[in-house]
Amino acid sequence: MKNFILLIALAAVVNVCRAQDFNKAMATAKASYSAGKLEDAHFALQQAMQEVDLTVGKEVLKLLPSKLGTMTSVSKDDNVSSNVGFVGATIHRAYGQGAQNADISIIDNSPLIAMTNSLLNMPMMGMMTGGKDKNVKVQGYKARLEKQAGSTPDKSSYELQIPLGNALFTFKVNDCTDDQILALADTVPLQEIAKLIE
Amino acid sequence: MKRTLYFSCLLVAVISVHTVSAQSLFKKLKDKVSQKINPNTDNSSSNNNNNDASNGKPVNKVGGGLTNTAPPDVKAEMADAEAAHNEKKYSDARYALSQALMGVEIQLGNQILKSLPATSDGLDANASKDVVMSTQWGWSNLSIQRVWENKNDKQMTIIIGNAGIYAGLASMYFTNAAMVETNNNKQNFKQTRVKGNKAIIQYEDNTGYTLIVSLGQSSMMVWQCVNFATEQEVMDTANSFDIDGIKKMLGEQ
Repeated sequence: MKNFILLIALAAVVNVCRAQDFNKAMATAKASYSAGKLEDAHFALQQAMQEVDLTVGKEVLKLLPSKLGTMTSVSKDDNVSSNVGFVGATIHRAYGQGAQNADISIIDNSPLIAMTNSLLNMPMMGMMTGGKDKNVKVQGYKARLEKQAGSTPDKSSYELQIPLGNALFTFKVNDCTDDQILALADTVPLQEIAKLIE
Repeated sequence: MKRTLYFSCLLVAVISVHTVSAQSLFKKLKDKVSQKINPNTDNSSSNNNNNDASNGKPVNKVGGGLTNTAPPDVKAEMADAEAAHNEKKYSDARYALSQALMGVEIQLGNQILKSLPATSDGLDANASKDVVMSTQWGWSNLSIQRVWENKNDKQMTIIIGNAGIYAGLASMYFTNAAMVETNNNKQNFKQTRVKGNKAIIQYEDNTGYTLIVSLGQSSMMVWQCVNFATEQEVMDTANSFDIDGIKKMLGEQ
């Protein structure tokens, strides 16, 4: 119970700090712009945008389940990074530390999004991958499921890629079946995540 | 045997001539019929119409294009971003910030354009070809263009851009001399410096001289010089520009 309260307090402190960083960047942007220092205003606006991306990332992490099947999240591996430019925010969470592990990553403005959409909408392209992947639907979203090598020759791992607007949601689970990964993916609130990162 | 061969050749020739003349006769007949049906249409336009109809799509003949919209109001967008952030509408906050960034970039681009000279190397700037372009990808796609020209087909175009990807490509040339230096008698691509900044100059018969100058970490300035007499003329013209001022405005060191 004590740990839980501490965790909530820590999250609240982090949120306040984030908001302060955003406000600080906006104050700098406004002051620089009023003073005609366009380059400084530009840099400060970029900083503010990075703060927004990081806040969104933290909010998405809150939406992700703390447990996937028998796997619990590894909070020390939670990560949100922001890049202004080509690739946007990157959100990452890992699950499980034993025999079975899972990994969720969400990349905003991912360069892979166009390729994944092509594979989802052109079955001929999917057929060229040697039958190792197939198109599926998860919570109404089209997705690409790819079979990969497992930890031993008799086991398989799977990777699920779901385009959510401009972001690419990637879910990997090792040593599982396709039904298992799809069942686990169903427990992730994709619609809420998509709304947040759109 | 010889006779049979000659006869066969003659037969083939006669049939070919006959086919060609029959085809041309058929075409003439077809044209005459179309003229009778529609006397106002000449043959060439009817052919064009047939071509247009062949792809099944009508050709657009009206429409005034898009109206120019003013660049985003930076102060208003910043206020919107703050309001959206306070209400935890992060997607809206991000959009407003990207609009504010675009507004700042366009203003900065116009500021840089203003700083460029009205005449250079005896050429006058053609204001109708001024371009300031920005996308909402934050800084990396700001492009500024100005054209100077005279009536003798002599032209100079300057493009100033801040594109990390292009700058990376240029750096590859700057750091690898083997890629650009040649030992041939005729050298059309080489490294040089403009006011201390690393540069590449290239010559092609059709396009003339192109000078690319690297400005700081990710900006570049390109001179495209058509009908310039010598490499020295290009270099002298480039050296007459306030490159340090442009670098300062772009925030480059």
